[in-house]
Amino acid sequence: MNAERQRTKKSSALGLMKYALLIVAVLAALLPVYWLLTISLKSEVDQFAVPPLWFAFKPTWAHYYETFFVRPFGRYLLTSSIVALTSTALALLIGTLAAYSLARFTLPANLHERISFWIISTRMFPPIVTIVPLFLMMRDLRLLNTLPALIIVYTGFNLPFVVWMMRGFFEELPRDLEEAAMVDGDSRMGALVRVILPLVAPGLAATAIFCLIICWNEFLFALILTQTDSAITMPVGIAGRVTQYEIKWGAMSAAGVVAMIPILVFALAVQRYLVRGLSLGAVKG
Amino acid sequence: MRLGANVGELRTPWHERALPYLLLAPAVLVLLLLTIYPLIYAVTVSLQTRSGEWTLANFARLFSDRFFGVALLQTFIYTLAALIAEFLLGLGLALLLDSQIRARNLFRALLLIPMMLPPVVVAVIWRLIYNPNFGAINGTLKSWGLDTTKLTWIAGPQMALPSVILVDVWQWTPFMFLILLAGLQAIPQEPYEAAMIDGSSAWQTFRHITLPLLKPAILIALLLRTMDLLRIFDQIFILTQGGPGFATETISLYIYKTAFRFFDFGYAAAMSFVLLVLINFISIGYIRLLKRQEAKP
Repeated sequence: MNAERQRTKKSSALGLMKYALLIVAVLAALLPVYWLLTISLKSEVDQFAVPPLWFAFKPTWAHYYETFFVRPFGRYLLTSSIVALTSTALALLIGTLAAYSLARFTLPANLHERISFWIISTRMFPPIVTIVPLFLMMRDLRLLNTLPALIIVYTGFNLPFVVWMMRGFFEELPRDLEEAAMVDGDSRMGALVRVILPLVAPGLAATAIFCLIICWNEFLFALILTQTDSAITMPVGIAGRVTQYEIKWGAMSAAGVVAMIPILVFALAVQRYLVRGLSLGAVKG
Repeated sequence: MRLGANVGELRTPWHERALPYLLLAPAVLVLLLLTIYPLIYAVTVSLQTRSGEWTLANFARLFSDRFFGVALLQTFIYTLAALIAEFLLGLGLALLLDSQIRARNLFRALLLIPMMLPPVVVAVIWRLIYNPNFGAINGTLKSWGLDTTKLTWIAGPQMALPSVILVDVWQWTPFMFLILLAGLQAIPQEPYEAAMIDGSSAWQTFRHITLPLLKPAILIALLLRTMDLLRIFDQIFILTQGGPGFATETISLYIYKTAFRFFDFGYAAAMSFVLLVLINFISIGYIRLLKRQEAKP
């Protein structure tokens, strides 16, 4: 009893410090993002003000106008969206079938476990190892500076992730479900589509969102496979301008803000699955 | 037929028997095409001269190339420094949030934001902050009357590497924190209750209960971060392009430049092969540790 009372006393004394530390951490996490937001809304004079203006400036939308109506960032956004959506859909289709197979069938010689391990290990592949061959391959196929090049690469990029996530979701469902449907005369594929898929729909949606985020953020392959305005994605568009000699900070920041908004919304939507997704299922959140 | 669910059905039609393979085939084909084929291609390119003769020159050059050595060393420094900082900060935050705290989910969601941002946007943010003249840091310090001429951040060779590491720590500490928090919350209550009855101190409880039970989550978090750190590219490319001079060049950047600025595909392939082997060895090490951990009662 005594020890417990001492503990509660101690914890109430520590309580304030805990919150103080947490607030410092939250500020450290968010102030840089807020800084980007302010730069995107400041006139050029205010951007270079010393001391920096954190609150007292007159907001302007001029940089957003410039970014999307004078510069081709609207186009980059569209490209990013098309590439992300198409490759996510493809990866989900191919990956879900494979995941179902790995979750439900026992193959001879433990083949299913071996294939599963191999698939997940391709995820560990450093992308830089494959860029030279993929660049040459896409050049030979005359796919450089086209959306299909990125769509193909991103589909492969997301596949291991989809297989791993979906396999976990399938394994959580009892086998009796399909078997009952199959006894009722459904084929296995019919049972998969009509019985199982609706049940894993939340997991499928979470997986899709993860894939979209990965595609949206991807930089290295996009940098190498696309160079023309008609094919470059948002990250490459931003990078191209940032590394130039004279940088338009306002326009850059505006592009950055617009690039991060969909990601933040999506990330919020998959909070529940975040741990599982990021640790590839190794840690259940 | 041993097709898992189909035990007992002796006469399964061929398409039923082939189904598991048919379902796997597209995924396996795409992955073969996008990882194994490029790998074989990379090995071939690395073993040839530009005119197509077989040679070991690209691999021999690795040993005499001082820049490769420096890039490798800097990659290790970057990886190790960021890993340690992210782990300690992430563990601290996870322990904080695992204790009794109000609005835990709100704090968690806010703390995770940096990790969600596109790396390119993160790099833009930090170029704004690090700018020696009007950046948030030097601007503030100047307004306090401090001399900032030595605080060059990413613009000067002495501070550049620590500065890019700091950006990594800012973005990826949330990842460590998230995985470790999940690990902490999965630990059952009973051992803690037992420790309380025994009158263990907070440190003893942490050392003998929390840490051992958290070890699998720690290993996973370290493994995944190590893989990502060893191939770091995006942020550094935009923050410094590996400069000033060679101060922040990492192995991925050096490979990129060798391939796409100097068009020496063979040498780039040889270097990326080394990186692959390196990453493989390190991840096998981690996986061994994990397996040993799981084998323990």
